[in-house]
Formats: sequence, structure tokens, C-alpha cells
Amino acid sequence: MPVINVETRAVHVQELNKGAAETVLLVHGMFSNLSIYYFNIAPILAKHFHVVMYDLKSHGMSEKIADGYDLNSMTDDLSALLDQLELSSVHLAGYSFGGLISLKMAARFPDKVKKLAVIEAPDPNDDKTRDIIDEYSREFLEYYVQNFADTTKSKMGKRQMEKNHRMYEYLFHETSIKSDMIRERDFFSAAEIDGISQETLLLYGASSNCLDAGKQLKKKIKRVELMEVDGDHNVPIQQPVSIGNLMETFFKN
Amino acid sequence: MDTITSTTKLNSSEIFDLMKQFITEVIGEEFVEEMDITMESSFTKDLEMDSIEIVSFSEKIKIHFGEQIDFTGWLSNMDLDELINLNLGTIVNYIEECQ
Repeated sequence: MPVINVETRAVHVQELNKGAAETVLLVHGMFSNLSIYYFNIAPILAKHFHVVMYDLKSHGMSEKIADGYDLNSMTDDLSALLDQLELSSVHLAGYSFGGLISLKMAARFPDKVKKLAVIEAPDPNDDKTRDIIDEYSREFLEYYVQNFADTTKSKMGKRQMEKNHRMYEYLFHETSIKSDMIRERDFFSAAEIDGISQETLLLYGASSNCLDAGKQLKKKIKRVELMEVDGDHNVPIQQPVSIGNLMETFFKN
Repeated sequence: MDTITSTTKLNSSEIFDLMKQFITEVIGEEFVEEMDITMESSFTKDLEMDSIEIVSFSEKIKIHFGEQIDFTGWLSNMDLDELINLNLGTIVNYIEECQ
């Protein structure tokens, strides 16, 4: 398994079509991992691009880290990863929390980001995500899994339930993730969002409760297009081929 | 990434044993001991493997067989229902055909 050291931390990285001229780097969301792209979306992009996926800290197969979940730290991590992989600039795409990291990356490191695709990035000022942390319990996870299964058709067994429970417990109670998220409350109203100059594609589920966040971003980013895809917040799982094809067209043209 | 390509053609029983070894390495011996892994075992329902574990399993196939088997490409052509219902026998057959 390709786990590399980036500034002393172990990071799980997967790459496809390494010889291609241009790179697309994919950032997954919170409580998820790179597999959200690996089987469907990444192979579509890899027809034309070198594709890089990585697991965020404490996610997937990357090392557990107690702090640094604010967007500055997360983009420092990503910038260091690019340096480690000797990639001077990439097309960047991020889903959910990964979408926020991608927006921040485009704002902080404009020379490292060519085009930007943002999938279902939520407004950090929306209390729903933080409420999840406050109300977290095993019962909540079981309810969430049931609801998740309805929209993704995936069922979680006992071992997976335990594994996910341990991850949530770690992130919620042993890391700074909650306080770091609170610090990002005003990210959408920050001037740096207005300053994003890269051509940007916003992809949102037509029935997603994050769609309003996409509409907010559309008003603020200069060179932007918002596209609605049939589905909700889980749209990369529900419509991976559509999401992959839309990004492929966007990054190619 | 370094690949160690297997040059000896394996029969279905040998491929099954190899897959079982990979599964054990991915999910851990303590869980495998409680399972009866057969050709009919499905990855998600019976083996309870999540997608990052299937990524890890795919990597092991890639490292072992090298370019001769595009396992990830094969999986990427499946829809969600096919992936959820994928069983070990289907994978063994696929690898046997590709060798």
C-alpha cells in the first residue's frame, strides 16, 4: 500500500496514469476516504490525466493526528504533499469538507491550482455539521447508517459499525476537529473567496441540503459555473459517472 | 510503485487461497477466524469489507499480478449493485481468465 512520509506524517496516496502531462488531485470529505473516487471517478479522469488521491489525516489509511483540522493546516498539508510529489500545479477537485479545502487551497496557493472543481462543499456557518459532533452517540451512528444506506444502497455490518464508531470517537473526542471547524464559521464570507481567480466548476446534488451553499459560492467566485446533478449530498456515490464525466470535460477544455 | 509480477499460472484453488490470504492481511486474522470464507462469500455483505479495504485488496492484486490484471479497471466498469454483490468466486474466475 503506497503510504509516503510527508513532513514526518504517514499519508496514504494512490496515483493513476502517472505518465500523463497534467494532474488532477482529488480531496475527499470528512469521515470518508479516497475510495470515494478510486473505483469510478478517478478511472474516468485517468483516461486523460495523472490522478492523485490521498487520505486526509486520521482518515482512511493515513496516520492519526490530534490537531490541525482548520483550513490553513489542511491546505498546508496539501501543499506539502504537492511538493513531496514534485507537482508544481494541478487541477484540484474536492468533495464536501474536501471542497472547502480545495477552495482554501485555490485562495492561498493560486500558483499551485489550475482549475478548481468543488463538489457539495457545505457552508461552514451551517450548524448542522457541528451539531452532529455535539449529538454524536452510537445510536446516532446507527440512525445515520440506516439513512446513508437508503441513499447509497450500502449496508454496514457489525465490524464496519465498530470500525466507524472508533473513527468517530477518535475524531470527535481526541482531536481538535470540532474547535477547528468552529474557527472556519465565516469562511464563505471571507474576502479570499471573492479573490479566487481560477476557473471554477461547482457540482451540487439537485436535492441536496447543501445546494444553497453552491448558490452562495456562485455569487462570489468570478469565473464560475454551477451545475446541479440528480441526487443529494451523496451525489459522488449516487452519480459517479456523471460527476466523473463533468469533471473530465471541465478539466480538458 | 514496485510490482512483483507472478509468472506462474495459478489454478482456481490456488487463486482462492491467495485471495483468502489477501483478505486476511487486509481485515485482520482475528476477524477472518470467525468467518467461513468460500467462493460464494460476498465482499460487502459476508466479509463486511468497506471500500478502503477493497482499495487495499486491489493494491495487493496489482502488486502480485502486475500489468497482466487490470483489477481496478474491471471493478470500475461495475455499477453499485454489482460491486455490492461481488463475490470471491467471480474474482477468482476473472483472475484465472486474465492469466
